[in-house]
Amino acid sequence: MRASLEVKNLTKGYTRKGHSPFLAVKGVSFSVNSGEIFGLLGPNGAGKSTTINCLTGFYPPSSGEVLIEGFNVQKEPKKAKQHLGVCSQEDTLDTDFDVLDQMIRYGTFYRMDRFEIVKRARELLSTLGLMDKSNELIENLSGGMRRKLQVARALISNPKVLVLDEPTTGLDPEARRVLWHFLTENRKLGMATLLSTHYMEEAERLCDRIAILFEGKILDLDTPQALIAKHIGTEIIDEEIRPGVFWKRNPNLEDVFLKLTGKSLSGGDL
Amino acid sequence: MMSRLSPLQEKFWPIRCVWLRYFDVYRKNWFYGAVTTFVEPLLYLISFGYGLGKMIGNVESHGVEVTYRQFVFAGVVAQSILFQGFFEAAYGSFVRMYYQKIFKAMASTPITLSEVLWGELLWDATKGTLSAATVLGLGTLTGDFSALGSLIALPLCFLGALLFSSLGLWMAALSETIEQLSYPQYLVVFPMFLFCGVYFPLESLPETLQTLASFLPLTALLSLIRSLTLDFPFQPQAMGVFIFWLVLLLFISRDTMSRRLVK
Repeated sequence: MRASLEVKNLTKGYTRKGHSPFLAVKGVSFSVNSGEIFGLLGPNGAGKSTTINCLTGFYPPSSGEVLIEGFNVQKEPKKAKQHLGVCSQEDTLDTDFDVLDQMIRYGTFYRMDRFEIVKRARELLSTLGLMDKSNELIENLSGGMRRKLQVARALISNPKVLVLDEPTTGLDPEARRVLWHFLTENRKLGMATLLSTHYMEEAERLCDRIAILFEGKILDLDTPQALIAKHIGTEIIDEEIRPGVFWKRNPNLEDVFLKLTGKSLSGGDL
Repeated sequence: MMSRLSPLQEKFWPIRCVWLRYFDVYRKNWFYGAVTTFVEPLLYLISFGYGLGKMIGNVESHGVEVTYRQFVFAGVVAQSILFQGFFEAAYGSFVRMYYQKIFKAMASTPITLSEVLWGELLWDATKGTLSAATVLGLGTLTGDFSALGSLIALPLCFLGALLFSSLGLWMAALSETIEQLSYPQYLVVFPMFLFCGVYFPLESLPETLQTLASFLPLTALLSLIRSLTLDFPFQPQAMGVFIFWLVLLLFISRDTMSRRLVK
């Protein structure tokens, strides 16, 4: 497998009026291979979105570099982004268009033929269960549908690298599973996916490898199983979930995270 | 599959793509677009040109005597450029940047943020030009403007609309909330509209105000439009002021918006 996305020693600092400069990402390095789902796991404020904004070329890094299919995203942004699909954390759907027109409009940004765009858009909408909404305005879609549409739009150009920043936040369990299945299918087609999430179950279930990001640094990077084995072990955990009520369970990534950072994934202190 | 383009097309294709996005929205809401683009200048024309024009008769400015209707027709050309350019760019781009977040969405594709902002400005300028062209066309039909002058004025109108769109984009980039756009609206746009010679010759103002107004971009644009359409004497300093503001605002608006979006 070759790396479709390479992040090399990425650092990003912000200067803020009246405050000392703040380093949000501190020398992060990782790569995502073709056909791999790579998880960036961390609580809010860990630096996930800043890392993603740098690797999509939107923020210039303070130092380090990002290569997409071998193209430096800052030096050759057009060539790099031709291979990139992005679903950002915030809702960036274009509310001036209906569902299908939105997909078509974004397809033109990748210089695809209209016929090809319509075909691809219909396939994606159909797979994600949005086909019957293709003529609906965005404002008529539920939160879950909007999120799925944003993922579909990120895939319109059939990118080699897909970046998803917390794509399942706010989704109901069924919609989440549809999206998980969809990502798994895309992995089989050789797509390299970077998935930022603070859902432990999602990361453990989908990701081939995971980087645990905390305060701008990668604390460890490995397969979910290896991370658990390395930091927690394989012994069953007997946890008191309510006073006097014990629950035996397997160790998980949340335990790894707690051990490494002293904080829970939702951002609270231990 | 990427289509093949010439190097020049390659350079402008992304900006054209963004421009077409705006045009598509305009086309889909064509009735609303037509009302907001064309009705306002027509109302001003009828009210001031025909209504007030009948009462006032002729006016003299820069040594040229014209009917008040001719004078105001040229004023409304500039005013429609100011309003269309500024308001579309200020409120429109604030919504697209802050609420819709589509600047960022478009810049996540092979189109760069710089190209997105050029597309935005060129679309806003297109709307301003359409509005101005309506007034120029009507002025030509009524015999108030010279046909050739009106035709030559079109590129100038486009540049004027680009200037005021840049002003709007700059204000949008500086505003924390959409309500804050009222400040430049009341403190910059309306004073320009009232004191740059749209409805009366600048010579009627006290000298200090005249001098102050002569440095404003609307005064310069108006002077150039009246030179072309009504044979007013060409004022080179107006061209200088116009180019100064155009270059400055084009640079500063795109730079400020980029700084706001890119951390």
